[in-house]
Amino acid sequence: MKKHIFLSAIMVLSAVLLITSCQKSAGDKMVLLPVKEDPTISIRLLFKVGSQDDPAGKEGLAALTASMITEAASQQNSYAQIVEKLYPLAANINNQVDKEMTVIYGRVYKDKLDDYYSLLKEVVLTPAFKDEDFERLKKSTLNYLENYLRYADDEELGKKALHEFIFEGTSYGHIVEGHVSSVQSITLDDVKEFYKKYYTWENLVIGLGGSYDDAFVTQIDNDLKALPRGKPVQPAAPMPKPINGTQVLIIEKPGANATAISFGYPIDILRGQEGFYALDLANSWFGEHRNSSSHLYQVIREARGLNYGDYSYIEYFPNGGSRQFPPPNVARRQQIFEVWIRPVPNYAKLFAFRAAVRELHHLVDSGLDKEQFTLTRDFLKNYILNYAPTTMSKLGYKMDDGFYGIRGDYLDIFPKKMSELTLDKVNDAVKTYLQDTNMKVVFVTDDAQKLKDMLVNDTPSPIEYSTPKPESVLEEDKKIAAYPLVIEAGNVKIVPVDQVFQ
Amino acid sequence: MKRFVFPLLVLLLAGLFMTESKAADFFPYQYQIYTLDNGLKAYLIPVHGSGLVAYYSIVRTGSRDEWEPGKSGFAHFFEHMMFRGTKKYPGPVYDRMVTEMGADANAYTTDDYTAFHMVFPAQFLEKVVDLESDRFEHLSYSESDFKTEAGAVYGEFRKGRVNPWWVLEENLYDLAFVAHTYKHTTIGFEADIKNMPNMYDYSLSFFKRYYRPENVVLIVTGDFEPEQAQTLIKKYYADWKKGYVAPQIKKEPEQTKERSKEVTYPGKTLPILADAYKGPAFNPEDKMVAGAYLLGDLAFGKNSELYKKLVLDEQKVEFIADDFSYHRDPNLLIIYTMVKNSNDISYVQGEINHTIEKFKSEAVSESRLNDFKDHVRYSFLMNLDTPDHIAGRLARFVALTGSLESVDELFSTMQQLTPDDIRAVANRYLQSTRSTVITLEGEQQ
Repeated sequence: MKKHIFLSAIMVLSAVLLITSCQKSAGDKMVLLPVKEDPTISIRLLFKVGSQDDPAGKEGLAALTASMITEAASQQNSYAQIVEKLYPLAANINNQVDKEMTVIYGRVYKDKLDDYYSLLKEVVLTPAFKDEDFERLKKSTLNYLENYLRYADDEELGKKALHEFIFEGTSYGHIVEGHVSSVQSITLDDVKEFYKKYYTWENLVIGLGGSYDDAFVTQIDNDLKALPRGKPVQPAAPMPKPINGTQVLIIEKPGANATAISFGYPIDILRGQEGFYALDLANSWFGEHRNSSSHLYQVIREARGLNYGDYSYIEYFPNGGSRQFPPPNVARRQQIFEVWIRPVPNYAKLFAFRAAVRELHHLVDSGLDKEQFTLTRDFLKNYILNYAPTTMSKLGYKMDDGFYGIRGDYLDIFPKKMSELTLDKVNDAVKTYLQDTNMKVVFVTDDAQKLKDMLVNDTPSPIEYSTPKPESVLEEDKKIAAYPLVIEAGNVKIVPVDQVFQ
Repeated sequence: MKRFVFPLLVLLLAGLFMTESKAADFFPYQYQIYTLDNGLKAYLIPVHGSGLVAYYSIVRTGSRDEWEPGKSGFAHFFEHMMFRGTKKYPGPVYDRMVTEMGADANAYTTDDYTAFHMVFPAQFLEKVVDLESDRFEHLSYSESDFKTEAGAVYGEFRKGRVNPWWVLEENLYDLAFVAHTYKHTTIGFEADIKNMPNMYDYSLSFFKRYYRPENVVLIVTGDFEPEQAQTLIKKYYADWKKGYVAPQIKKEPEQTKERSKEVTYPGKTLPILADAYKGPAFNPEDKMVAGAYLLGDLAFGKNSELYKKLVLDEQKVEFIADDFSYHRDPNLLIIYTMVKNSNDISYVQGEINHTIEKFKSEAVSESRLNDFKDHVRYSFLMNLDTPDHIAGRLARFVALTGSLESVDELFSTMQQLTPDDIRAVANRYLQSTRSTVITLEGEQQ
């Protein structure tokens, strides 16, 4: 009976290639990606609300509100009933919250659409906001902040702390999950009010992909008009404070047997703007995410075996430890340049930091050479194919195109832009947007005071290996160990791990 | 596609090797099985349109095969060494060629197998077959490179060791097994990882014994023609010599009484409970195996009565989930629970035990069982939507049995399961004498 449905999955892949030719726009309200041969339907409901809209003292409210929609009861069904009804459909209702946007999304087999959509519609239009769901989800968030983030994943802790450090005092200045005290202060009434204010028809973009029909487009368009009405005011884009010199945050974690390091600073360039593609190429050469083509990876991991990997970014890339490619719909109006050094043994923490900063200095100073440029350009022209292989992910990228004001399809434009680049353009972009003197740094480590002293005193950090290394590496090590750091004592602060995100 | 034009003779020769076409059954794509004389088997699954090909080399060796003392974690370490190059394509050259193609190339190691995977534009198929066959046949690295890579592996260990789940698993498997190599986790014991730089000679022997054609299966999916792939596989892999030496894995003796241990995690966490039971080895035709998978979901999954009670209604538990997954040898069926308050651990344990007894004595309803069967089938099929997802989904099945046909066999067996079968599975495996219970709590409160 269901056989034909499964067999039609064969055609999904061939259909994906055709997507770009049959995309059509339905204005700002809808992004459509019809793929008739895809046996599934992808739905993304993008609300223009995120953690930047959290009221002061209620940080984490946007994330908790989204969870109260997708992981809690509707007025028609308890959460347990929703889970039970979704189960045979092998479908989920998910949420993703970032600074600027919240997406409620899911994918289902075409023949199960009616069952799925009725559940999706009811959780979005008529969430129940029950006390018991609220208590459960709030405690879950607190467990994440107090236990998981502080203790179970040092590199994620360091990266999240870096974003707060760079954006402190702005609407991007807290992590999406919020802080322990702010989450504790959130009430169910706060959630209800937030939903009413931000989950409005005017604040919604509907994304549909796959084998939906015209009738469904009309239906979802009509149904979701029942959302609250109103166009909330968007906060101004964040204006991070200028960074003077190197400012350091050391998160002290007694007993930590390794040190996680992240550093970076704001950059004034966004996807699609002039110079973006050139900078993206330079960044890919310097630190392509989880790829041995990354220069930093070659220097710190491959030649010296100091850690598991070393990467850099010019766009936000959440959950890098468990993802190979960035998710769509984490678009932002302000990005940072970020370097991620995966945990290194404590004896090598200052050496590894120096090595990364020194490489950044070389990049800023000298740029790429012709060979590096050509290799990275060829790489990216093909590698972009991996970014969005599914209808769902392509739909997400398409929705981001709207955010960034990109005319056409970023995924199509990207290889063309690569072809148009020249080495000079890339190196100009490096000079324009990257520097190595004003940055913020986060270490997650033990013995914070000792590290602070070494940073402030510019103490050399020679390294010894338990295994032999080529002479060329050892010679370079001497230069790295003595690479000058200029850090003032007043620019280094130490925070015990239990106070982070408090 | 038309870049590769081969003389007719080559195609005729290719025909001398065993080729078998398979019609689609549950698994929705047609595929060909191509086997060389040296035992290398390739599953060729053409799925046109994406412009991409996913190329998986599955080595049927994982941490299970680390049977010699002091060698835990070596399969994973060796996975790293496979990127260090050959005389023909030294490491930096290999890296450069992969970069030029814009390939997404990586690898992972599990208890039962090691997978090397690459996704790349279809026009590079020959280059990839050349590169991959070359490193599998002629891997060559210096002792110095070997020692440096050991540092990266230790870094991977350090990165993960801060997580309480790592600490839990390490203790669980160590206690649950006394003889079988499943006693250690895939990353290995820290003492063995620390000693890895001293095992260069052993690494050469490891490569010779396990990286052999009769122990490797290729899965190729995406935008290519099977005939083209056959020609290339024959051209590049036919000279690879047999020589697989099976590991001397000790059989785990029958467990006769319950084991338990309290573990302290040197950080802060909610208490975690792991209830593990000795389960079956994977056999796709065995109702007990297919039934165990469904039982885990029915009794302890997100749609289980126990989840609703403990997580949603009483809210005593942050999280409950089952891991009743498939393994080459008898492994563990595990129920993980994160408890919100230490005082409730005994109560939660009691509820888990009560649920087990209920599944032993009462049959689930036919309609509920069907809902769960639908969930598993739809979930599997929905994820076969890109070349990489297809090959990735098949990897474990191919690794455990050496055959992709096991997918159809398993889902056929699953469809035949009755409520009484589920009850029989519970009675067979979820006995306290087969159990190992770990209770982990944080050192800091």
